[in-house]
Amino acid sequence: MQQEPTKGISGRLPARLWAVLTVAVVALVVVIATTEKRTEPGASYKLDLKPFTKVDDKDVAFRQTARFALNLDDPSALAVADSGTVYVAGKDAVLLLDAEGHETARHAVKGTPDAMAVAPDGRILLGMRNHVELLDATGKLLAAWKDLGERGYITSIAANADNVFVADAGNRVVMRYDYGGNVLNEMGQRDLKREFEGFVVPSPYFDAAFDQSGELWIVNPGRHGLENHRPTGELVSSWYKPGMDLYSFCGCCNPTHIAFRSDGSVVTAEKGINRVKVYAPDNTLIGVVATPDDLHAPSDENDSHSPVKDLAVDKKDRILILVGPMKAILVYEPKTPGDRKP
Amino acid sequence: MSKENKLGRRDFIRAAAAVAAGGGAWMVSHPNEQAFGWQLDPRKCQQCGRCATSCVLSPSAVKCVHAFEMCGYCDLCGGYLQPGAKAQDSGAENELCPVAALKRTYVEAPFYQYTINADLCIGCGKCVKGCNAFGNGSLQLQVKQELCVHCNDCSIARDCPAQAYQRVPIAKAYMLKTLEKGSEPTK
Ligand code: SF4
Ligand code: SF4
Ligand code: SF4
Repeated sequence: MQQEPTKGISGRLPARLWAVLTVAVVALVVVIATTEKRTEPGASYKLDLKPFTKVDDKDVAFRQTARFALNLDDPSALAVADSGTVYVAGKDAVLLLDAEGHETARHAVKGTPDAMAVAPDGRILLGMRNHVELLDATGKLLAAWKDLGERGYITSIAANADNVFVADAGNRVVMRYDYGGNVLNEMGQRDLKREFEGFVVPSPYFDAAFDQSGELWIVNPGRHGLENHRPTGELVSSWYKPGMDLYSFCGCCNPTHIAFRSDGSVVTAEKGINRVKVYAPDNTLIGVVATPDDLHAPSDENDSHSPVKDLAVDKKDRILILVGPMKAILVYEPKTPGDRKP
Repeated sequence: MSKENKLGRRDFIRAAAAVAAGGGAWMVSHPNEQAFGWQLDPRKCQQCGRCATSCVLSPSAVKCVHAFEMCGYCDLCGGYLQPGAKAQDSGAENELCPVAALKRTYVEAPFYQYTINADLCIGCGKCVKGCNAFGNGSLQLQVKQELCVHCNDCSIARDCPAQAYQRVPIAKAYMLKTLEKGSEPTK
């Protein structure tokens, strides 16, 4: 008996169904090829800093009450004169602002000062990388002092009637000058009797400021704290708070900047977790001034530089934060009970 | 086919890459101006972790490298220590690196030097992120040209969310951030 030839599957399916199947297979291949999603790298491959940047509203003790927009490139340094005038330095200029942030004058300078102070008589001191320039109150250059060498990197100047203290991050010293530009002494030598090993300055953040009674405080950033030194250099007292929590100074080298309020409390800025806080004279945290969100610096950007370029306290005891990328000064005042969220 | 026996697309590429590795090594040892390879720009990198997981090689051809002249030799190193570390020492529970590739050596009080064991490093970039955030950004990721097999279409470059990858002449393939005067913001 002759058998009927067996029909293969191709013979049993209609041509139209074949066409549909072919299109479906091609579409599937295209979809797989173009939408292959690599799995997200797991947590062990990533460092997430967000949990450290969260600030509870109950810990925020200040609120922003003004924002002074600056017509200035690369704003880099801030100072408040005894007269109340606010000085801001940036690329090729020093701006003078009134208490409402209106520009009242502008002095041309060559370059971008890294640091600035205003003497009680209105003379202006600028840190120009490795040397100081002294201007009169009208902005005229009076003198350029001898430079601090190749390594010199001036990050802060604090000036009173007789002395100018210049923090040099490159050489890890604070130089004390008179107004003639003469070096009176150098601060930063090891003094093991007072357990002082010198200033530890891993990055170009090294600040100095006077408190409300005229005492000189210098940040020791690698030790995460503040030190009160005599003008001749001896260490009088110190406090250090290394740690990642809100009450401490985070990272390798903080605080980056300091400024004192009239009640003796100290305003501190940090990088890494970009934030500004205030500590009471007994070193306890009063509260947060500006959070990473306020500074538009969520701490996960590829930047090892602080958005906060300088800090100051004005004659109304308001906190002024110079935020470089914003080209603005943010003004903060204490929250009142009504400001606090329930 | 069992899961173990299935040769996935990625495994296939890895196998092919292993064959190509010999050729890649030859290219590096005989660089010429015309030969191009892949490099990532550390200024753009966001340390997303894909340099460790997307390379056709395992472990990745991307490694952490250290620009020592930028380093602060910090005790509390943001690249070495877990952000919440209780102690500043080399206890495994305090180390940020998942494979203990970063080594800490005491120099003098209070300074420490940090070196990378490239054989262990998987190129995850956790230390780079910590160093960028809290330190000077001296730890940086780079494609090691002697390891890279110079895929025509670098699979990390395809996945990189920061578009940090670019073609570079192999003879001048490294693009580390440095401390050149004026190259960094001043404060
Ligand atoms: S894939 Fe891109 S962003 Fe992610 S770690 Fe590599 S270079 Fe950096
Ligand atoms: S943390 Fe990641 S990139 Fe850094 S050394 Fe360890 S494995 Fe390499
Ligand atoms: S070209 Fe890219 S994917 Fe290929 S080996 Fe080099 S780094 Fe890895």
